[in-house]
Amino acid sequence: MSLPDFKLLRPRSLDEALDNLAKHAKSSARLRIVAGGTDLIPSMRQKLFEPEYVLDLRHISELSGIRERKGSGVEIGALTSLTAIEHSDVLRRRYSVLTEAAATVASPVLRNMGTIGGNICLDTRCLWYNQSLTWRKGCGFCIKKDGDLCHVAPGGTKCWAAFSGDTPAALLCLNAEVEIVSPRGKRRIALHEFYTGLGDDHRKLQPDELLTRVFLRETAADYRGVYRKLRVRGSIDYPLAGVAVVIKRSNGHVADARVAITAVNPAPLVVKGATEALNGKAVDDAVADAVGVLAAKTAKPLTTSALTPEYRREMIRVFTKRAVLAAAGN
Amino acid sequence: MRSKREWRRRGETKFLVIPSAARNLLLCFANDERPTTNDDFMTDFSIIGKSIAMVDAAGKTTGSGKYTDDLSVPGMLIGKILHSPYPHARIKRIDTSRAEKLDGVVTVVVGSDAPNPYGILPVGHDEYALALDKVRYVGDNVACVAAVDEFTAERALELIDVEYELLPAYFDPEDSMKAETNLIHDNKPNNIEKDYHHVFGDPEKGFAEADRIAEARFIANEVTHAAMEPHSTLAAFEIDPQTGNPGRLIVQSSTQVPYYLQHKLSLVLEMQMSQIRVIKPLVGGGFGGKSEVIPLEIIAAIAARKAKAPVKITYTREEVFWAHRGRPRTIVDLKTGVKNDGSITAVKARVVQDGGAYCSYGVVTILYSGALLGALYDIPNIQYDGYRVLTNKPVCGAMRGHGTVNVRFAFETQLDELAAAIGMDPAEIRQHNLLKPPCVTVNGLRVQSYGLPECIEKVVERSGWRQRKGKMPRGRGLGVACSHYVSGAANSIIRSDMPHSTVNIKIDRDGGVVVYTGASDIGQGSDTMVAQITAETLGCTIARVRVIAADTDLTPIDIGSYSSRVTFMNGNATLRAAQDVKKQIATAAARKMNCEPGDLIFRSDVVSKKNGLQGPRGDGRPRPSGQAEPGSASPSVSGHVEGQILRGSLQQKRKDEGPKEQLSFEEAVVAAIDFHGALSGTGSYAPPLDARGGKHKGAGVGPSPAYSYSAQVAEVSVDEETGEVTVHKVWASHDCGRALNPVSVEGQIIGSVWMGMGQALTEEMVWKDGMLMNPGLLEYRSPSSVESPEVEAIIVESIDPEGPFGAKECSEGSLAATIPAISNAIYDAVGVRLHECPFTPERVLAALRAKNNAKRINLTEGVDPTSPARFREHGGSLWYRGKGPERHPLDPSRTETPAAVAGDD
Repeated sequence: MSLPDFKLLRPRSLDEALDNLAKHAKSSARLRIVAGGTDLIPSMRQKLFEPEYVLDLRHISELSGIRERKGSGVEIGALTSLTAIEHSDVLRRRYSVLTEAAATVASPVLRNMGTIGGNICLDTRCLWYNQSLTWRKGCGFCIKKDGDLCHVAPGGTKCWAAFSGDTPAALLCLNAEVEIVSPRGKRRIALHEFYTGLGDDHRKLQPDELLTRVFLRETAADYRGVYRKLRVRGSIDYPLAGVAVVIKRSNGHVADARVAITAVNPAPLVVKGATEALNGKAVDDAVADAVGVLAAKTAKPLTTSALTPEYRREMIRVFTKRAVLAAAGN
Repeated sequence: MRSKREWRRRGETKFLVIPSAARNLLLCFANDERPTTNDDFMTDFSIIGKSIAMVDAAGKTTGSGKYTDDLSVPGMLIGKILHSPYPHARIKRIDTSRAEKLDGVVTVVVGSDAPNPYGILPVGHDEYALALDKVRYVGDNVACVAAVDEFTAERALELIDVEYELLPAYFDPEDSMKAETNLIHDNKPNNIEKDYHHVFGDPEKGFAEADRIAEARFIANEVTHAAMEPHSTLAAFEIDPQTGNPGRLIVQSSTQVPYYLQHKLSLVLEMQMSQIRVIKPLVGGGFGGKSEVIPLEIIAAIAARKAKAPVKITYTREEVFWAHRGRPRTIVDLKTGVKNDGSITAVKARVVQDGGAYCSYGVVTILYSGALLGALYDIPNIQYDGYRVLTNKPVCGAMRGHGTVNVRFAFETQLDELAAAIGMDPAEIRQHNLLKPPCVTVNGLRVQSYGLPECIEKVVERSGWRQRKGKMPRGRGLGVACSHYVSGAANSIIRSDMPHSTVNIKIDRDGGVVVYTGASDIGQGSDTMVAQITAETLGCTIARVRVIAADTDLTPIDIGSYSSRVTFMNGNATLRAAQDVKKQIATAAARKMNCEPGDLIFRSDVVSKKNGLQGPRGDGRPRPSGQAEPGSASPSVSGHVEGQILRGSLQQKRKDEGPKEQLSFEEAVVAAIDFHGALSGTGSYAPPLDARGGKHKGAGVGPSPAYSYSAQVAEVSVDEETGEVTVHKVWASHDCGRALNPVSVEGQIIGSVWMGMGQALTEEMVWKDGMLMNPGLLEYRSPSSVESPEVEAIIVESIDPEGPFGAKECSEGSLAATIPAISNAIYDAVGVRLHECPFTPERVLAALRAKNNAKRINLTEGVDPTSPARFREHGGSLWYRGKGPERHPLDPSRTETPAAVAGDD
């Protein structure tokens, strides 16, 4: 499968990239942004995207790297590779849930190319969508691209493609913020506000906007963190369900905790009520299981992937329970 | 039917049946004028039985080796194929004019450009290179564009206008068998490609004698080969020097069967076979997926003919999945009876295979499924009803363990259940039902060498079965299973008495040995096997041997790399060719050495006299390879000048000297050329008549000159909350007759276990209304290195009386044991019996929850994996209230299921 025709833009600085965006990014159909390329390039071959311009960020060195800001947390450039996240000492020491999640993404080769920004922005996925043009003709297309039917929930009008990044679940637990830059200026938002919950338009990101940095606050540091990923193979696979848990303990009780899930909804989601269910408790099987049930209620897996929805929902329960127990140190 | 005794007697007239101890005493060069298969038995080989590197290893590991898609010729165009978006439709009109007008497009071909039907089996000529009047599956081939590049060709595909008339489609084989109208092929009533009904012995009596009977339905879902190299073909016509018109056709292709490709090209293109040259470059794995003619191979040729330019087509991975020819999803309704002492009294199997839209190897597959119920254990009574059914899905064909794997999964699982029912150890029940070879099974299969008893003993011993079975921690278990496979089909696809393999050897005055073999190395190492057998037989170093393989202009016919036939058949042909040349060299060398040809030993590039005769240092022992005799004058005698032998100087020397005590290989070769005028030899192999099976209808499939045997123990653990199965270790023993190259044999065993584990745990083609939901290696999940267990490969050598140096197959037989070994280990670990593979975590969890009476949740789309009634479809809806693809009103996708109504929240 060949790539569609496009013009490649290769800015050397963020300013140059913003110039390119100002000039060419009138709509998302005209311009796509590439960093590691592990998500975009196969999709372009499948003609899911046929942009006029591709903006290649890889040569903007200022967007790469992990910087510790004394007393105010850590700043991660969007182009930082997942391998670099996986092997970062400071992240491993202070925000271990993120290194753990990063280490589960795809395979070592793909982590060398894939970036943290790309993992946050990752397109939502569905067996009815991530297919070649010829295949999609055979299925009559789908609501996310060129069609009017959601094959996984045909009675409705929404797209249910699943958000399938691993690191955002960890970042949600860490209350991460992201910096978004456009020719019109700069803004900083909490990651949980970045996602819409819609499978076919899942990010609050205008065509001329770039996600440039991720911020981890000092207050989110030093939690015990665990990420658990359901997949069929021990490598390569996208998550079929993922759960991140962070817990801070004090005197054997939970002082603070957060739980987030991924790959079972069109967005990664913080499990509401989990913090309340855990705070002040000494974690035992019953507590952990209650949190698992909460997580399973938050999950809405559909037939977007090979394993059945009910299995994935059940695994959200089991994996959450196990992750809570592990993070609580039981 | 002849008595066992008579078969045995007949056998002895044709070949030597020698007890292995006595055989080991035999010396290497029997004083026999007739080249027989086994005149070279000895214990001390120099090249056979040694783990040597594959002769093509360097090119593959450095990247310098050329696979078909690496090839390029001047003026070459790229071909791209238009595939059907409909599962079943009549083509009313194709208009290619818009595509033809696109800049860069040279030609567009359609079905009418090559309207002759073909198929791998003579009874199954039902395919067209491009659809003639009907498409029969999503992905069927409609048209092909040849253009200056891939991008242009793909754009042109969008400009081809096809008008279809939709037809109702059939996706489930049991539904398809009920069809009376809108048949997939008009000449196949009820969409049944072929059915067979075999009764051997008296099954009813057998069941009446049984103390315990188990009866159940097993389902094995569909798997595909997933070879690393996608199919690729480069077709080019030579210009005829006399006429200037296109002349001979040269096709380079990723094939396991160059000769069949040449044959089918000849049929479809209406050219003489002699005008077609097929060359097989390096092939990156086949596993059966390249063991027949794949549409692109013919499409490339017809596009090249019309374009008057070379055309290369390489499939995308999705197209590889559509070309498929993999293992059909199979229903096995199985009934087995045993006595309380463990004796199997009868087996009854009804097998339904979902074969997809064309015949392919289907008739053979359904026959293997029945035939290879025999030849593993002693089963006195067998009833077999096999149905190969057509559906509107990609075509199934031959895949590693062809026809045997799914039935073996069912049988070995059921045998385990029966062992449990009568309170017998699972390994013991297998040992209790061994054959007593040499024998002929109830269904006419001749079994000679039979290493199964040793295979079982070895895995039982190495795995600590007796000490550990049943005493492992909760969630961990051991399972055992056996399997077997043919060492080549005794009857070729196109029936004839002609040899299945012929090999030529040429040796010239440079002392180089060139072997011309049709054997197709697809990564399994046949080139290496040929080189080893040649070098061992001629007593030369392997570095002397050049193998020219799989080029129909240069190499004599070998019918291909399938049914695990190459080592046995091409190996035997190579052995005979080498013996032919050796005899000629010996005649000449003996004259120079003043002895009988039979008194000579060829070894390590030296021809010397046998033990007891006067020889160098009086012992006649050959020297280790590469070591020159101290003080030997051989280099100067053979007169090396820049790698050449100066014949004149040698003759001069010879005149000066008297009879010699030994000759270097080169001297011996030169002596032979002097004596005979030229030095070449030939050998061929056809399976013996008494190995070709019984007389019943369908008896031609299953017979083999020899069978390989495997036994495996798998150790697994099961996570009872998630249903995830981890395979920790597999002990896999395999009787390959003799391991010609042990490291290669171990590689094949490990590969078989690994591939079997894929089918057991993760690999499954997922279907929804004829759409393949996972046509790629991301969603079709072959195991990665992470979940590959330790495999302890154990070689068992039964030394087959007819195999080359005693060798049998080693590439396929092990696969089938892995799946039931794992299912039986799951039972040992957590007490659930899965009757549907793969044993994905959702299926295992569903079985566990049912066993524990947990609250029912629909983990498996309504199909109970412990008692599956039907094939499972992927969830969701292809079509819903007028939305979705166009499909015929009677298409199964248009039946609304209650689950389909899910809305927005």
